[in-house]
Amino acid sequence: MRNYFVFLRRCAAIAFAGDWRYYAWMGLLTVLCLLGLNAYCRQFAHGLIVTGMSDEVSWGVYIANFTFLVGVAAAAVMMVIPVYIYKNEDLHDLVIFGELLAVAAILMCLAFVTVDLGRPDRFWHLIPGIGQFNFPRSMLSWDVLVLNGYLLLNVHICGYLLYCRYRKIKPAKWFYIPFVFIAIVWAVSIHTVTAFLYVGLGGRPFWNSSIVGPRFLASAFTAGPALIILAMQVVRRVTSSSSLRAGSPGLGSAPLPPSKRRAATLEDLDLLSRDLLEMASVPIEIRQRVLPMVEVLEVPAGGALLRQGETEETAFFILHGSVVVVREEGGRFRVTRTAGPGEQVGEVSALHATPRMATAIAEEPSLVLSLSADALRSLMESPQVNKIVRSRMSERLLITDRALMTLRSIVQVSMLINVFLLVNEVFKEFYSGNLHDASSKYLFVGLEHHHALVPWIWTAITFNLVAMVLLVLPVSRSLKWLNLTCVLCIVGIWIEKGMGLVIPGFIPTPLGEMMEYRPSLNETLVCFGIWAFGLLCYTVFLRMSVPILQGRLSRENEGASDRSIPAAAPASPPG
Amino acid sequence: MGRRSFLRTSAVLTTGLAALAASLKPLLEMNDFPTMERFLQKYYKEMTPQDMAKVLKRIEDEVEQQYHLRPHVRDLKPMDGVEFVYCLNLTRCIGCRKCVHACVAENNQSRDPEIQYIRVLRLPDGSLDIDKAGHFYAPASVPEKGFFYMPVQCQQCENPPCVKVCPVHATWQEPDGITVIDYDWCIGCRYCEAACPYWARRFNFTKPSTLPKERLNLDMSYLGNRPRRQGVMEKCHFCIQRTRAGRYPSCLEVCPAGARKFGNIRDPNSEVSYILKSKRVFIQLKEEMGTAPRFFYYFDV
Repeated sequence: MRNYFVFLRRCAAIAFAGDWRYYAWMGLLTVLCLLGLNAYCRQFAHGLIVTGMSDEVSWGVYIANFTFLVGVAAAAVMMVIPVYIYKNEDLHDLVIFGELLAVAAILMCLAFVTVDLGRPDRFWHLIPGIGQFNFPRSMLSWDVLVLNGYLLLNVHICGYLLYCRYRKIKPAKWFYIPFVFIAIVWAVSIHTVTAFLYVGLGGRPFWNSSIVGPRFLASAFTAGPALIILAMQVVRRVTSSSSLRAGSPGLGSAPLPPSKRRAATLEDLDLLSRDLLEMASVPIEIRQRVLPMVEVLEVPAGGALLRQGETEETAFFILHGSVVVVREEGGRFRVTRTAGPGEQVGEVSALHATPRMATAIAEEPSLVLSLSADALRSLMESPQVNKIVRSRMSERLLITDRALMTLRSIVQVSMLINVFLLVNEVFKEFYSGNLHDASSKYLFVGLEHHHALVPWIWTAITFNLVAMVLLVLPVSRSLKWLNLTCVLCIVGIWIEKGMGLVIPGFIPTPLGEMMEYRPSLNETLVCFGIWAFGLLCYTVFLRMSVPILQGRLSRENEGASDRSIPAAAPASPPG
Repeated sequence: MGRRSFLRTSAVLTTGLAALAASLKPLLEMNDFPTMERFLQKYYKEMTPQDMAKVLKRIEDEVEQQYHLRPHVRDLKPMDGVEFVYCLNLTRCIGCRKCVHACVAENNQSRDPEIQYIRVLRLPDGSLDIDKAGHFYAPASVPEKGFFYMPVQCQQCENPPCVKVCPVHATWQEPDGITVIDYDWCIGCRYCEAACPYWARRFNFTKPSTLPKERLNLDMSYLGNRPRRQGVMEKCHFCIQRTRAGRYPSCLEVCPAGARKFGNIRDPNSEVSYILKSKRVFIQLKEEMGTAPRFFYYFDV
């Protein structure tokens, strides 16, 4: 128990430590939160009249954001499926980040519902047992239950896994796996229940359509992972140059040393460029310059190129054969990867002059090029070589490009389904030409000189279509294009699901009155405040969890000052 | 902790607290902060007669404090063997909107912003398509040629969607068919407003305005026309303070055309029973919703 409080205290302490970028970001978010709080206090004092809502359009951006964020929360956990069901190792560490995102999103959801209440002081009327809870008849009571349940589930799973990492113990399966599976089902349920909030209203034909539920899920699985793709790259950027922990030296049984070494020739470099095409771009002058710093090693099977914990500025490229990289963690050995011809080993510690993170052993008799750090740097003057080496390096950190590509394929499929369902909806509304399509008309083409939402929905549709095309094209395999696509997805779906679903449901009113809605400044400030609050929470969660996952914040270094645990770069000055 | 870091920490803390205080400042503009007594008030159906007596006295005190007039606030119960039904003769209605204003006066509704329970629709002859309705017609005189008028208010459905969706049971159907709201229990989520197919519910987006003293209706009922607060729903309740005491709703009394009929459907000799038995066609608005309104529109044929 005491241990747990120390863990919590250290987590809390680390949230206040960081470099100037961290403080600037948190400062900005805090200011936005306070502006939002100020706007909310004004609303609390004067009532919802300070918003743009009316009896005609009685829900606005609060509920729109709520709906969007429920989707984000649901999708964040759905990433668990590839990991726990299909054993996809790439996404393993991402799961915790996804679940933390779910926690932050649910907190935002709860905030958005609360600010939408006319009498937030009477929230206790909603508490089962104390108040009057209209369960199971009211879908809103379902939503209260599933959202809070989901919050608890995710807090439990993340908290437990992180605590185990912190203590370097293996998590007890029975204590989290069942919850993981419950969370998966629960994730579907939170978004379905939220869709049912709308679908269940017979008096609103725009919502009263069975396709809303599937559309919600499809759009959630597009926007959620898209958001994670972006967030993870920010995390990676911030943590990329961090030094990973140096482990204990060597394996149990001492591996053999390399048997033969000789000076390299230009032919050896040519041999490398056969498997590492980027090498061909290195000009001959540079090749000649690095030649004295390069050696060729003949390594027998079982021979070690480098050992975990040693400090030595050599990197290796494999010419022939294969090498396994083994990492010792808490007395256990884990093969982290296998490197074949053209691939590199040991470049991270060579470039950063940090201890070796793992041990590399030849699986079969292999031929290896050994370079000094300077030689490697010289070769990396070629942009192509630099790019390939760097991208392979980043793969080995928490968030690999492969993981991002797995997320990309989730976004890809979901977006296709999302657009397909949208086409279904539009066809049904417009082709049949019945009289219940006034809201759709208002949304897509405008009705009786009212067309406030028309530019919005067409922006959303354009964004979604462009994103869909980009996702299908191979171009979105490059991170630059993928990021653009993700931004398009998120904005497109936010509009489509928020402004495009909630607002037109009210226009025209059930009595046929046309009244448009525009969020007021005060309302907008409250929304920004809540988003800032959510980002603040998520930043803090990441700030705590990244060092834990990387092993830099653990029970072993309990005595050490937490302020010296950097968010990221070893270069960042402590606190 | 060093001197420098102490100074820095205290500077950050002071700035932070000052910013927090500044953000919270609008709360000072609040003049209706709930008292502990109101905060802890029980749910209508869970109150004992003693609890209710206390609450009614408190409401009377509050009104008296505000207006220097003592109202008579009652908690009228439904009568046995009574189920109220409203019938509205569309042939007779001339669209004068007198009912709208009589309702506002009777039920002590906020005047600024004005909350009205009744919306009179102007429809072109020959169509009952609500999408064609005019809401804001303002001719020199009514009725206008080529149009008929349809006042819409709470339809007191037998199967009310608003009651179904309320997460806290703040609105429910009484045995006499009136769907009521406990204004002191509503949390203001407005889900009922989204659920109502008749757009019959109104929300207090801000504190209801104070009425001129002479306009205040002192005959009040807990579930009816007693003063409401900011952030809660309200709607037509068939003038519960009148009808449960054996009087007609005020919209009926004021109607100059005699278009409105109200009564007990369980009494075979009542006017509404006669109308529903004798008219060949009567209209329940949006009948296909399955809400089964207790509000019937009919024509003189």
